[in-house]
Amino acid sequence: MSGYNRTLAELVIRRAHVLDPSTGLDGVADVRLREGRVAEIGEGLRGTRELDADGLHLFPGFVDLHAHWRTPGREDEESVESGSGAAAAGGFTGVVMMPNTYPVVDKPAIVGGLVARIEKESRVRAYVAAALHAGLRGERLTEMRLLKEAGAFCVSDDGLGTPSAGVLRNGMLYARSAGLPVILHCEDHTLATGVVHDGAYAALAGIPGSPASAEDAATATAVVLAAETGARVHITHVSTALSAALVGFFKGRSQVTADTTPHYLTLTDGLVAGLDGMYRVNPPLRPEQDRDGVTEALRDGVLDFVATDHAPHASEEKELPFEEAAPGFLGHETAFPALYTELVLDGRISLPRLVEAMSCSPGRWVGQGGALSVGGMADLALVDLSEEWMVSRETLLSRSSNSPYLGRGLTGRVVGTIVGAELVHDRIGAKFGVRA
Amino acid sequence: MTRNLLTLEAARREDLREILELAHAHARGETRSPLAGKTVCLAFFEASTRTAVSFELAARRCGADVISLSESGSAIAKGESLVDTVVTLDRLGADALVLRHPAAGAAALAARYTGAAVVNAGDGCGQHPTQALLDLYALSETAGGFDELAGRRVAVIGDVLHSRVARSVIPAFTAAGMEVALVAPATLLPWDSGAWGLPILDSVGEALLWGAGVLYVLRLQKERMTGARIPSLAEYARFYGVARRHLGDGVLVMHPGPVNRGVEISGDVVLDGHSLIPDQVAAGVHVRSAVLALATGAAHEVAA
Repeated sequence: MSGYNRTLAELVIRRAHVLDPSTGLDGVADVRLREGRVAEIGEGLRGTRELDADGLHLFPGFVDLHAHWRTPGREDEESVESGSGAAAAGGFTGVVMMPNTYPVVDKPAIVGGLVARIEKESRVRAYVAAALHAGLRGERLTEMRLLKEAGAFCVSDDGLGTPSAGVLRNGMLYARSAGLPVILHCEDHTLATGVVHDGAYAALAGIPGSPASAEDAATATAVVLAAETGARVHITHVSTALSAALVGFFKGRSQVTADTTPHYLTLTDGLVAGLDGMYRVNPPLRPEQDRDGVTEALRDGVLDFVATDHAPHASEEKELPFEEAAPGFLGHETAFPALYTELVLDGRISLPRLVEAMSCSPGRWVGQGGALSVGGMADLALVDLSEEWMVSRETLLSRSSNSPYLGRGLTGRVVGTIVGAELVHDRIGAKFGVRA
Repeated sequence: MTRNLLTLEAARREDLREILELAHAHARGETRSPLAGKTVCLAFFEASTRTAVSFELAARRCGADVISLSESGSAIAKGESLVDTVVTLDRLGADALVLRHPAAGAAALAARYTGAAVVNAGDGCGQHPTQALLDLYALSETAGGFDELAGRRVAVIGDVLHSRVARSVIPAFTAAGMEVALVAPATLLPWDSGAWGLPILDSVGEALLWGAGVLYVLRLQKERMTGARIPSLAEYARFYGVARRHLGDGVLVMHPGPVNRGVEISGDVVLDGHSLIPDQVAAGVHVRSAVLALATGAAHEVAA
């Protein structure tokens, strides 16, 4: 009986273009998956279950260090089930859930409950980021060792940041003792008093602006403290050229890593001229020169990888005047297509670097996934680089629809996502009509 | 055929002329109830006296049915969202919706949810188009016609950063062919103060040396008078306040109201012969009548 099951659990993906910069794979090959792992990579592999992937690309599954699945508390906007569905649809096989929920994930019992829900509902590997300080209020540290015992993977101050440098320093020191990495949202709220980037568009539209220094000053504080404390610190959603350069300066002087998001790599603050609350996000969309600086930093590895900051919002939180709209965009389902279309096809970064930035590098940070090697986890993304599609509410699996790419045509689409050798997202059937 | 009036950012000279000419026709009493049978809704999500009264008078003199919603005692006070209020007024049959709201972009948002003509009566720090139009009207009257404005120099003085009036008068004056300079400390200017491509001057005295014939004074909001943006009212008044000593030959003073006497403008200037402030208020009804007639499509019958 068990022998039969083992055969069933086997899958051979045939003739895909396998690309994994971490192992150097770059060419057409067959990949055999068995018992959750990659069993064999080679030519002419056959099996009882075969997937003809001729013309498709096979990457290590993407890993997203930054997502808001709104659980617990706002399951009307996203749940573990829908968030992981959206992640799978975007080719993500691993996701870190941020703690700024209702209630905040700052107690072991809440972490435990979340871990149970993940085991029951999640289609992908999900990791819990617990709060760095109680209630994310920036005052008392959380019980990091107990949080870790309950299943927390890391700690974070995402959403608001940590106003006091003293609290932040103690948080880093304590997290180092607890053996937890720290993900930081860098924003100085005495400077970040607006809702858009403080530039020409803010001036003309009369929408209150936040200067780039609101992010840069907080990033500078964070990287200086990271170097001093020796904590494992990750700066998330870097949106300015100067913040990227600050991270670059501290590479080699600290354990600091950093990410930026698809929207800072593809969109600019010109979008706020239309006064549509959809385009409010935190940090705000920046001018072209920051977009260029951040893109170069990602290309050169100064910024280690891409994270989406997937932030679902109900329509009543977005259909408001700009200043009143909730900040944030959906991210999972459009990340790869948007970056492939805007960066790779535009010649700004190479496809291998994009795969490294979405799979290998964040996978290494998490310590799981991000590589396509024999004996490794069979967490994979199957992508059609030629498919052209239009982002619309109907294409999205998220419970929310606040995507800044709505109505845009993108090239490249995830057609299959595999976690532990199981297909968790499958649009391969949908391809028959167009590929016949 | 309805026409929204949301912003003057991209105002064109011909559009301004059309509105001002129609306003003149209203002022001369040449129009007979152009809005008869039309419904004008005034939705004020923010306190306002002169703008609300001026619009209401304009709508009534044009023969419209007028519905007023204000902050207190309406669905607005009960927390109904802007979008829902707009949809409700739309379904009740509004032909024009005059909207005042504390957030920039509110009028643009409203316009996405109604077929009625939306007239922006001030949205946050965004735009206040009818204020700029009545300013042009009052100034044209004094100058001897709209075409006489071209080439004149106007200094916009004060809290440009938080002023919706500034964001409307700057493009309106520019479209009329005037040269505009901004006079304010850096703390009361947008960070990217070069966004308009205008000269920035440091005092009313400098503005006069530059050749300003019109001193357009912005109101300093009460909440800005204290705090970190200006050190003291005395210092502000000394450099950015308009006083009698500034009133040389032919210099005109304008202010959108309500004024803070002794702060941005000294008390003996407000009703001086150089001041157009009372004319600005008087122009309001004529200009808003014209705007409502154009917005609802009623103006074509007048013009014909």
